[in-house]
Amino acid sequence: MIKRLALDRFSALYLWGFFMIVFGVLRPRTFLSGTSLQLVIIENVIYGVLAIAFLIPLTTGTYDLSIGTMMSLSLVITNSVAKHHVVPPLVGMLIALAACGLAGFISGFIVVKLRVNSFIATLGMSQVITALILKTSRQTISGAFTKSYQDIGNKKVLGLPLFVYYLAVLAFVAWYVLEHTPVGRYMFATGGNPEAARLAGVRTDRLVWGSLIVSGLIAGFAGTVYSWKVGTYSQSIGPGLLFPAIAAVFFGASQLKARPNVVGTLIALYALAWGIKGIQLTFSSDTEWITPLFTGISLLTAVALASRQGIIKVHKRKVDPAAPAVVAATVAELGS
Amino acid sequence: MAETLRIEHLSKTFPGQAALIDVGLTIDAGEVHALVGQNGSGKSTLVKVLAGYHQPDPGSNAWVNGQPIALGDAHAAALAGIRFVHQDLGLVGSISTVENLALTNGYKTGAGRRIQWKVAVRQAKEAMAALGLPDLDVRAPVASLPPSQKTAVAIARSLVGWEDGASLLVLDEPTATLPGADVARLFDVIHRLKAKGLSILYISHHLDEVFELADRVTVLRDARRIDTVPVAGLDHASLIELIVGRRIESSSASEAATSGAPVLQLRGLTGGNVHGIDLEVRPGEIVGIAGITGSGREHVLGLIAGQLPYESGEVIVNDRPLQNYEPRSGIAAGVAFVPADRSVRGTVAPMNVRENLSLCDLSPHFAGGRLRRKRETTETNWWIEKLSIKTSSTETLIGSLSGGNQQKVMFGKALRLNPKLLLLDEPTQGIDVGAKDQIHALIDTSSNDGVATLVASTDTDELVRLCHRVIVLINGRIAATLTGADITAEHIEHTQLQTNRRDS
Repeated sequence: MIKRLALDRFSALYLWGFFMIVFGVLRPRTFLSGTSLQLVIIENVIYGVLAIAFLIPLTTGTYDLSIGTMMSLSLVITNSVAKHHVVPPLVGMLIALAACGLAGFISGFIVVKLRVNSFIATLGMSQVITALILKTSRQTISGAFTKSYQDIGNKKVLGLPLFVYYLAVLAFVAWYVLEHTPVGRYMFATGGNPEAARLAGVRTDRLVWGSLIVSGLIAGFAGTVYSWKVGTYSQSIGPGLLFPAIAAVFFGASQLKARPNVVGTLIALYALAWGIKGIQLTFSSDTEWITPLFTGISLLTAVALASRQGIIKVHKRKVDPAAPAVVAATVAELGS
Repeated sequence: MAETLRIEHLSKTFPGQAALIDVGLTIDAGEVHALVGQNGSGKSTLVKVLAGYHQPDPGSNAWVNGQPIALGDAHAAALAGIRFVHQDLGLVGSISTVENLALTNGYKTGAGRRIQWKVAVRQAKEAMAALGLPDLDVRAPVASLPPSQKTAVAIARSLVGWEDGASLLVLDEPTATLPGADVARLFDVIHRLKAKGLSILYISHHLDEVFELADRVTVLRDARRIDTVPVAGLDHASLIELIVGRRIESSSASEAATSGAPVLQLRGLTGGNVHGIDLEVRPGEIVGIAGITGSGREHVLGLIAGQLPYESGEVIVNDRPLQNYEPRSGIAAGVAFVPADRSVRGTVAPMNVRENLSLCDLSPHFAGGRLRRKRETTETNWWIEKLSIKTSSTETLIGSLSGGNQQKVMFGKALRLNPKLLLLDEPTQGIDVGAKDQIHALIDTSSNDGVATLVASTDTDELVRLCHRVIVLINGRIAATLTGADITAEHIEHTQLQTNRRDS
């Protein structure tokens, strides 16, 4: 039954459909309106960008837990530069991206050359970045940006701001590279079995290192999107965005191909977003606590369903014990 | 003299294969009794039956100190006082000797279930002192101890409380991974135990150790006990004779049509267990590497292929030196490597058959800025057919295939590179007979096409079947080179056991 419905690999789509029906019936006028649709899409763009930042190194078996703080770093740099009017805000944005790329480069050096586990390396890196941010700016910065700068991201096309399209482009490029080029194949091989990949001639070290630089750049871009969308910098922004992004990646990795993938990640992200929206509309007040509860339970259920299939397969076919979905192992490692 | 262990009529049949046939064994009190035999002779099955891991066939009997015990029951074996130290020792490296001993022994606790560390440390020190190692740092993580001390800790752990009942200690290849100097220290420990009246069953490939340690030796061959003889009065040659026996050989490989410049040249290759090897392999030649584990056989191919770094020497392929510890440079020079230990170094578990097969070279399928999946699938299907790989499709996860079929995918992965030099490390280990024959045929075909091949194998029959030339390694050096009619299983086995005296 489960097998025929492919509940394991398409649970996010089922969940999505379920929310549409339930909340569509409960709150037909608000939930199914064009305004809600726009809101859900727009509100989750930053999570989407961060999720892709987390996904890229994860394909090589590398965690980047510093994406949240790198996003803050980008935001504080962009804001400070704009505030002091030294150079145009767009240049500030490029400086911010370069700084995040550099942070990724340093994490890469620590992981590849100093052989520190990526989990620890990027966790440590995130604290160093936090210190930098606190040292640079203790105040909230707001109203720093010119309209022309914010228009780069906020100008509406077909009812949606441009940054939504930027996410679409970013997701497309990530999907293309991962699924349709040799580099993507080598990255998955590195994540699946680094020694086998190395013996097959894959430059595993470079891929790990490069993927951390790319995740830094993308996390920096998440800060850029924030500077367009909200504009205000405060110290609390960034780290709190980490979990929803990671949850979408792991939930997504349990979907479709049973390994980290872009399409699954976005489906998971928006399935959850719609559920949260429905809850907010149905129980009008005091619902903040529902969001993390909901995200947490959905993630656990989805990954458990996918792992269960893996376990059944192992028992049935007596396959190599190393075979079950990479997701289960990575999630277990993350939790430990 | 009292008997510690007596086994009679022990047989063990696995589906389609008898691993032990009517084996009898007696071990006297205070005796060091060696158990020797080739790979597959039944040694490890015997140990596993004793340890309770395997159930023997009905009709097998055993007594410990005159009391009958049930074979194939781990609990009964432990109660009767049989203790084991397996080859991998089973220690937890990150914790101390004290804690490792406590894993079996438990801790003495005081009020509030508080561990009495002073007592635990004192007990651990006593246990190690009893083995002649009073200075061992029992608080240091076990992983930081030298190899012989690790073995001693494993022995101490297996003997925890042995005064109250241990009677037989089984040491399964305790020196397989020990450097030469450490072997002498381990022997010291064993002599002490013997002096205290413990009986020891000692399993080893190293005949020198048998002569140095054992009182008697039992030889297994082809699942049967060939003989049990006192070591005094036995010489090296007659022991080898007992182990190897006389066999009639099946037809071996034909003469190689070898001509042309060597594809591979090794000059003074040193690293791992290998200590200076010079070798040339020419196009179309299949060269075998034989040797017991620890001889360097297990490292030669890894050093060439970049799996392991070498310390000195040169690897030259088609007149181009390869970079050390850099598999890419070998692949670029036309080297294809099928590593031993497939699941660790060969297959990428979360990937399917297609992705595993084409991993080394995606260039034929990359065109117009993207991977052409159709072409890749077509090529994969071609290999599936050519190598008769049993898989439901190209998209099946590699781990769902049987071991033999996984190995065929690994062969396809290597052969599709059109290699000039094929390196095969234990190419048929752990796979069924049918797949083995197919793989041997593949190796023959590629050699006829002019590929130079190096095969390292513990399966001597495989070397006889395949090779034009076999080099035998002892202590990391080439001890003999066999060619033509000299390549027989008997010859190889004789040679690799011959002068394996360790220098330290």
